[in-house]
Amino acid sequence: MKAEDFAGRDIITMRDFSREELEFIFDSTKEIESGRPGGALDGKLVALIFYEPSTRTYSSFEIAAERLGCRTTGFSSPEKSSVAKGETLHDTIRMYEGYGVDCIVMRHNLMGAARFAADLTKVPVVSGGDGSREHPTQAMVDLYTIRKAFGKIDGLRIGILGDLKYGRTASSLSYGLSNYDVEITFVAPESLTTRKEIDHFLSERGVGFTKTKDVRDVVGSLDVLYVTRIQKERIPDPTEYERVRGVYQINLSLLKEGKKGLRVMHPLPRVDELSSDVDESEYAQYFVQAAAGVPLRMALLSMVVAK
Amino acid sequence: MRKIEDGTVIDHIPAWKADLVLRVLRLQRLAKSELDVSVAVLQNVVSGRLGRKDVIKVDRWRIDENEADILCLIFPTATINYIKSWKVFKYSPMVPDTIEGRIRCPELLCISNAEREPLTTMFYTLKTERMLQCRYCDTLLDFGKIPDFVRV
Ligand SMILES: [Zn+2]
Repeated sequence: MKAEDFAGRDIITMRDFSREELEFIFDSTKEIESGRPGGALDGKLVALIFYEPSTRTYSSFEIAAERLGCRTTGFSSPEKSSVAKGETLHDTIRMYEGYGVDCIVMRHNLMGAARFAADLTKVPVVSGGDGSREHPTQAMVDLYTIRKAFGKIDGLRIGILGDLKYGRTASSLSYGLSNYDVEITFVAPESLTTRKEIDHFLSERGVGFTKTKDVRDVVGSLDVLYVTRIQKERIPDPTEYERVRGVYQINLSLLKEGKKGLRVMHPLPRVDELSSDVDESEYAQYFVQAAAGVPLRMALLSMVVAK
Repeated sequence: MRKIEDGTVIDHIPAWKADLVLRVLRLQRLAKSELDVSVAVLQNVVSGRLGRKDVIKVDRWRIDENEADILCLIFPTATINYIKSWKVFKYSPMVPDTIEGRIRCPELLCISNAEREPLTTMFYTLKTERMLQCRYCDTLLDFGKIPDFVRV
C-alpha cells in the first residue's frame, strides 16, 4: 500500500476502511509526529465548510492543512456564509468545486450530508462529522491513540460510555474497532444505547460486544474506557437526565477499581462526565489523544489530496 | 365486476391488508386520473394457503414491475398475475438490490429528507434480515414498515 492509493478518496464512514488502510494511515501519522517535514501540499486549496460550529475539529483541520502548505477557504459556521441566505448544500459544493478547491472538509448537522456532497463532486470530501451518525477522522485519532498507548489494538477490552445512540464518535469508533480482535462493552442508559444499525454491523463482522448500564460492572476488566458526553437535549425527561448524569460521571475513585494499565479517553470537549481529578493520573490518555488530531489529519489530507 | 380482459390480480395478500397495498401502489390516485380503471377489493376471503386473505383485481391496468417487487418485499405471500387478452401470466418477483426514489427515509434528520436538496432516496435491501438500509444515513427499515414511508 502507498499514499497514492488514497488520492481522491472520500472519507465519510469508518465502515469503508480496512485494517490495512487504517494501519497505513497510522504509520503515516507516526512519521509526521516524529517530525517528517510539512509542505507536502504547497499551493493546494482546501475548503473547510462547517454547517455546525466546532472550534476544535475546525481548527485541527485548518492547522493540518496549513502545516502541509495549503491555503484554506470556507466558513466555520453557517451564519458566516451564503448558507445563511438559504443556499442549498448542493449549490455550495458545486460552487467550491468551481473555485478549484483540491479538497472539501465538511461538517453538517444532517445525517448523510457528507455522502451526498461526495456524490456531487469529484473533489475528495472529508467528513468532519455528520449529524449524529459518524465522525470518521475522530475515530482514526482514537484508534491511533489506543495503538500508541498499548502498542497494539488486538486483544484489548474496550468500554465505550455515554450517549451511544446519538454520539457520532462512539459510532465511528465502534465501526473502526470492528477491524481488530477486540471485545467491546457499551455502557449507557437504555434510552441511549447503540442503535440497531451499529449492533447489526458489528454482529455481521463477528465482533464480540456486550451492553451494560453500570460502568462498575465492567471497569475492572477494561483496558480502555472511552467516555463521551451525554447531552441534556437528547433525553426527553429532565429527571431521567439528572439521574443518568450522576451515574455516568467518571472520577479517580471509580478508576481505582480498574485494572492496572487502564486508560481513559474522551473526544473532548467534556462537561462534567469526566472529572478533572483524573487529568494528572496515569489513566488520562485524552490529552495525548487530542494532540494526535493535527498529525493524523495532516497524514489524511496529504494522502487524499492529489499531488 | 366483469371478467378481466386486460389487467392485474394481486392475490394472497394477508387478510385486511389490502388498504396498505392500495397505498403502496397509489391505486386510488391512479383510479382518479384514469377513469377507465376499475378496482375490486375482496377482503377476508377464505384461502387454503393463508386461512384468510385479501385479493385486489384491477381492470385495464398493468402493475409496474418495480412496484410489484416492492409489494412482494412487504408481503412475501402475495402473488401477482397480469392478464392480457384473457390470458393469465404469473409475475415472478425479484428482490431488488436497491430501491430508488419510491420510499422516504424514516429518519427526519437524514439529508434525503432535506426539502430543497436535489436528491433521490436510495435504500439497499438486506435480504436475510428483511430490512432496507438508507444509503445516506444507514437507518434500517423493516420491510413490513415500508407502507408508512412510501411516497404518495
Ligand atoms: Zn436516511
